[in-house]
Amino acid sequence: MSWLPVAHALVARKDLAIPTWLFAWGASIVLIASFFALSIAWRKPRFEQEGWRPLRAGLSRALLGPPVQALCGAIGIFLLGLAIYAGLDGTEAPDRNFTLTFLYVTAWLGFPLLSVLLGDVFRPFNPWRAVGRLTGAAFTTLAGQRPAHLRYPERLGRWPAAIGLIAVVWLEIVYGSSGGVAVGLSPQSAATAAVVYSGYTLAMMALFGTERWCQTGEVFSVYFGMFARLGSFGVKGGRLGIRRPLSAATSWATVPGSAAVVIASIATTSFDGAQEGAFKGALESTFERFSDWGLGLTTALRLTDTLWILLIFAGVAAVYLIGVRGMSSVGGAPSFAKLRDGFAHTLIPIAFAYLVAHYFSLFVFQEQAQFTYLLSDPLGTGTTDLFGTASSGIDFQVLSSNAIWYVQVGALVVGHVVGLTLAHDRATAWWGDYRQAARSQYWMLAVMVAFTCFGLYLLSVANG
Amino acid sequence: MSSNAMRALAGIAVVVVAVVLLVVLQSGSDDSSKTTKGLTTIVIKNGKPVGGIAQLTYNKGEEVRFKVDSDVSDEVHMHGYDIMKDVEAGGSVSFDFPATIEGVFEAELEGRKEQILELTVNP
Repeated sequence: MSWLPVAHALVARKDLAIPTWLFAWGASIVLIASFFALSIAWRKPRFEQEGWRPLRAGLSRALLGPPVQALCGAIGIFLLGLAIYAGLDGTEAPDRNFTLTFLYVTAWLGFPLLSVLLGDVFRPFNPWRAVGRLTGAAFTTLAGQRPAHLRYPERLGRWPAAIGLIAVVWLEIVYGSSGGVAVGLSPQSAATAAVVYSGYTLAMMALFGTERWCQTGEVFSVYFGMFARLGSFGVKGGRLGIRRPLSAATSWATVPGSAAVVIASIATTSFDGAQEGAFKGALESTFERFSDWGLGLTTALRLTDTLWILLIFAGVAAVYLIGVRGMSSVGGAPSFAKLRDGFAHTLIPIAFAYLVAHYFSLFVFQEQAQFTYLLSDPLGTGTTDLFGTASSGIDFQVLSSNAIWYVQVGALVVGHVVGLTLAHDRATAWWGDYRQAARSQYWMLAVMVAFTCFGLYLLSVANG
Repeated sequence: MSSNAMRALAGIAVVVVAVVLLVVLQSGSDDSSKTTKGLTTIVIKNGKPVGGIAQLTYNKGEEVRFKVDSDVSDEVHMHGYDIMKDVEAGGSVSFDFPATIEGVFEAELEGRKEQILELTVNP
């Protein structure tokens, strides 16, 4: 069956599947690294304390002071405005319009990378936070009192962000289909969605407070902030500082729904990687079933993809929860609920590795477009040339297939090792007895091997 | 962990590596045999490719050659290589270019957004 093409609007060059020999090498390195990890088990936790040291006070004052923060906020608002304007007023061709590449490649994939390297850089640029803070300040000045907010229901935790994360990806790769063909999201739809999301976010900020909503509800703050926990840079008490890498991740998942956020990230990336390869046949037969039931082609395709995203989410969650259940059976274990939240952060490196493995080449190719013709001609009119780069193209030869393959497999292997490290460290902190701690980690080891090998498998059948 | 358990684990690891290497050696032989030879003709009927999307596979450096016979007028766009050629209704158009970029690429009837070809270029 090849009449159900699943096309991305943006990608002109798709990755070749990794060859069998590289799959084999990747998988065997993963297994050997895992067995090695079991045998070198350290006995005292090393990442539970951040070892945070402030950087020079002048640097903190400069970067965190009002002028720079206001400038960053203004840039964020301008870029969001440009994306909405270009989407609504620009060309309908997704690859010639600023909006899709900016929202779904530059921001959506760029901020996780920047966050790991530099810390939570999205926070100052967050356009909705900037508007919220500005409105709050204006209200305080005019009314002579601070705005009153509702109490955020603690039990809700990060669940709004987890659901929002799935919705963002759903919009990109599920909604943009018509006539039974995934033609890709149109710039108009993306811009409309950005307007709707802005309205929703500002309303929630008015209800619960700007910073409160950014902590657990605002999708992009929560998602990018999660990756920032892996890196060394952070802000504490108004000071910029440097800490032990990975150490901030250990305190990330204390809020309910955190596990759902990281699982949603792994699941949505998996779906995107599997839809053209590993699960192509399954998707086609589900689609035919829905078509046979008399659903329209577009409805049938959207329903198929929605169902499969949710199924993969459930599958990833099930693997993790089985691992947690296993750990809780080891003597001296904390409760199931405590373990479930307490090991969620160990999946963040896996989620990041999945992102790198699936989108590395797309990011490199598409950023060439972002900084040449999409910058000079954001509406794709063909007559604008702001910076003299409107006629440039994407050089698809900058990456050889070998380079892409090594980055993909390398990312998965490194993510696997880092995930194992965090899990072992948490176990040593929580089990007094180090033998029991090691025993509990057979379970997390199985979970990590499952995710990493699944990731390798998806890469090895990338194009069916 | 006891040293016995460790030795057992090391043993398992070695077995796993051996199995994996076996798989590698087995699969190493059939790599470069399935490339496309000769001239492929893609027939377009009612704006759709007959027999589904054509699949062509080449190694880098080889010459990609195919012909499109179409019963509709449209523009054939070879993505990635960015080659565009118009085709008349009832006419045909030929493509002949070196496979310089690795990866998987689509050719479309641009006006209809109908994919007619998936081109794979292996390194």
